[in-house]
Amino acid sequence: MSVVASYINNIVSGVKSTLVGMRITGKYFLKKPITVQYPDERLPIPNRYRGIHYLEQEKCINCLACARACPVDCIEMDAVRHGKELEWVKFTIDYQKCMFCELCVYPCPKDCIHMGNEFAFVTTDRSELHHDLLSYKGMSREARIRKREAEEKKKKKAAAKAAKAAKEAQAAETEGDPPQPTEGEA
Amino acid sequence: MLDVKTQDLEVNMGPQHPATHGVMRVLVRTDGELVTGAQPHLGYLHRAAEKIGENVEWLQYLPYTDRYDYLAAMNNNLGYSLAVEALMDIEIPRRAQMIRVICAELNRIASHLVAYGTYGLDIGAFTPFLYAFREREWILMLFEKICGARLTYSYIRIGGVFNDAPPGWLDEIGHFCDVFEDKWREYVDLLMMNKIFVERTAKVGVISKEMALDFGLTGPMLRGSGVDFDLRRDCPYMIYDEIWQAGAYEIPVGTGEQGVLGDSWDRFYVRVQEMLESLKIVRWCLANIEEGPTIGELPKTLKVPAGEAYVGIENPRGELGHYVVSDGGKVAVRCRVRGPSFVNLAVLEDLLPNTLLADTVAIIGSTDIVVGETDR
Amino acid sequence: MNNGNIFLDLLVRFAPEGTPSWLLDLSAAGVGVGILVAMVSVIAMFCVWMERKVAGHIQCRYGPMYVGGWHGWAQSIADGVKLLLKEDMIPIGADRPLFVLAPALVLGSIFAALAALPLAPGVFFADIDLGLFFILAMSSMTTIGVVMAGWASASKWTVYGAMREAAQVVAYEIPLGISLMVPLIVAGTFNLNEASALQSGWYGMHWYIFQNPFVLPAFALFFISALAETKRAPFDLPEAESELVAGFMTEYSGIRWSFFFMEEYAAMFLMSVVAAVFFLGGFESPFTSLARDVFGEQHFLASLTAGLVLLVKAFGGIFLMMWLRWTLPRVRIDQVMTMGYKYLTPLALLCVLGASIFEALWLGVA
Repeated sequence: MSVVASYINNIVSGVKSTLVGMRITGKYFLKKPITVQYPDERLPIPNRYRGIHYLEQEKCINCLACARACPVDCIEMDAVRHGKELEWVKFTIDYQKCMFCELCVYPCPKDCIHMGNEFAFVTTDRSELHHDLLSYKGMSREARIRKREAEEKKKKKAAAKAAKAAKEAQAAETEGDPPQPTEGEA
Repeated sequence: MLDVKTQDLEVNMGPQHPATHGVMRVLVRTDGELVTGAQPHLGYLHRAAEKIGENVEWLQYLPYTDRYDYLAAMNNNLGYSLAVEALMDIEIPRRAQMIRVICAELNRIASHLVAYGTYGLDIGAFTPFLYAFREREWILMLFEKICGARLTYSYIRIGGVFNDAPPGWLDEIGHFCDVFEDKWREYVDLLMMNKIFVERTAKVGVISKEMALDFGLTGPMLRGSGVDFDLRRDCPYMIYDEIWQAGAYEIPVGTGEQGVLGDSWDRFYVRVQEMLESLKIVRWCLANIEEGPTIGELPKTLKVPAGEAYVGIENPRGELGHYVVSDGGKVAVRCRVRGPSFVNLAVLEDLLPNTLLADTVAIIGSTDIVVGETDR
Repeated sequence: MNNGNIFLDLLVRFAPEGTPSWLLDLSAAGVGVGILVAMVSVIAMFCVWMERKVAGHIQCRYGPMYVGGWHGWAQSIADGVKLLLKEDMIPIGADRPLFVLAPALVLGSIFAALAALPLAPGVFFADIDLGLFFILAMSSMTTIGVVMAGWASASKWTVYGAMREAAQVVAYEIPLGISLMVPLIVAGTFNLNEASALQSGWYGMHWYIFQNPFVLPAFALFFISALAETKRAPFDLPEAESELVAGFMTEYSGIRWSFFFMEEYAAMFLMSVVAAVFFLGGFESPFTSLARDVFGEQHFLASLTAGLVLLVKAFGGIFLMMWLRWTLPRVRIDQVMTMGYKYLTPLALLCVLGASIFEALWLGVA
């Protein structure tokens, strides 16, 4: 008897659970799909998204804090310092190594390196994955102006200093050596 | 009599096989459809994670922890952070602890959703996989909002968490919790209770209580065999003890409902039930979370006092242990990881013989290994 | 119409006087085969597209959307072109003649089976008196091709797939045949045209499933057996992508692989049409009888309506197969056997017994 019962039970439960499953799949068949057609429409990317980096080069002081924080040593940066101004040589991130952990962003004292929302970084050559974050090489126009101004200021200062020194020297000369002709005249 | 020589057929299941969840290889000896022996081979995804841990600074190792159990990166971050924090005298702010628990439990749900989906795939049902991924996608979007990454979060850090939750994030989680419960019902109806699924998994790959303990299984593998052991309750860390005392969650244990205690179906149902329990924990945290800082006071350069610490946490797959040794410097002297998948995998060799080839797939799926973690 | 080929009839009517009969025969066969191949290809391509759309929508996604514009209708054509252009690869250890022959045999036998299908009342490629018998025989020929492919590929996975296919088809031919006996008892003919025509009463609703209470369960049994016969989920063990990589077609690629693929959909269409004819009224529906009343028995539009009704029924069956495939997990090989021998076969025999008794009593009463 129990054999017959389990035989019938097997059939009943098999059909029943199949119908339950078909009800669920059928329900979703009639619903609108939840996916979006990717290149045409895109889901919003949140603000904190960790994509390809971008650099506020004006702020950066070449302190190497980000390069030191990087676990895979993928950041390479180089700049020549001219007084207060920086002449940029390179600031590259090797995206073959980068694992988008955002550890380079936190230690930055000037808050100048960020991770953007660009994620499709496609190249046909591996070497292009050494992405240069610099928007300009060398010095910026403003920096050059500032540098020139600073240099001019310095020059002016130096000139002023020189002039002053000359004046002082002249004054000392005049003090040490009183004008003779007046005396002579007098 | 014909002089016919017969011999077993040796088949390489993997490393490139759809059922081996990545790059594991099982050398299966078969007599027709019957499996007479099986030997798992590991190491295809070995990345020397532990050695790297001894060569990079404490905080720099965090992204590497994401990568062993890549389906539960939050939990890995948490395990490592807890181990390092055990060496340091540091107070973790309460809000940070709450956010940690929310993230870890959401990640547990996401991980179990993948387990559910891929197990369905192993058994041959394709649709549950995409339904599970639909909800997982939602969780990943939530994670994307809080930390900016979808898989390798590096979010829970030594001392707290990196960022506070963005405005409105906690409400979104509340909404997710409400929707997820309905969907969970569908998962159970669509796959777990399906007659064919039950026939395929019940009484297949039975692990007895003794066997589970002998092999050192942890997590759903252990609980599926009827052993009521969960590190969140029995060896509490963070605020899990408080949550347990508040009676917010239960620990699902295998009952042998559809077949024998400790079969694949039991293990699987434990996982599916755990999703709901995690949801309850998340709800409790949402109700009790307060404003406050999200990171403790840390020195600028992270130096960990000399000493050693082991912290095991309940990963979705079992006990994830981190053993760290410090000599007081910026870099760990030893960083050892006890991955649950690796230990759970050992049982396969005993479980697979004398099953059918299709059962082999079902059993490998029911161990729910992540190869990134077995090989590290 | 007794020539068994409508094209031959047409040719005989229009050919010039004195054309040798063998030439007529040959050209009629050629035209028939050409049309058949084109028709089956179009149907198979449509089924592939439909499967992808059905699967997509069941899984909350769209499926193909780009190729061709409207909902990716040209996706299958694009795939077909791609498969044609792919490199023809034959593994080194393979048995070349068998490897090449297997897909052709599979596709050829399914074409042969499809030739016996009626397109509309009186429109057919081959009007065979034992039509159903021919269809069953031809569709089980595909198994030989599959086993051949599995053996010739020189791969362990393909051998597993082939063995599974052989075991499964042997097990499921029996309930398939027996469950078809139930409508045959009611109909009394193997001829598909006649079987369809016999259901034209009741304003086109005099279907076999309504004529005898045992035909409905027999239909369920037939449908399950047909799933197994066409290697559709939950009985897709010969392919079993999560267990056997791709089963018997692991080593196939390009156009040869697409032959297996087309065979699967053609077989689905075949089984759906057989189900429609022997269970669900064939050409008959209220629309058909209405069209017949309005346009007249022999009118072109009446035939067209009948053909469309059959096509709709066939695609309804295909849709059901797809719906099942995207719902159910796969069964294990021993469970396939259990189901075939212990459940379907005895139940089908019971149905035959019940139908016979019912029919005898009915006829006795009448």
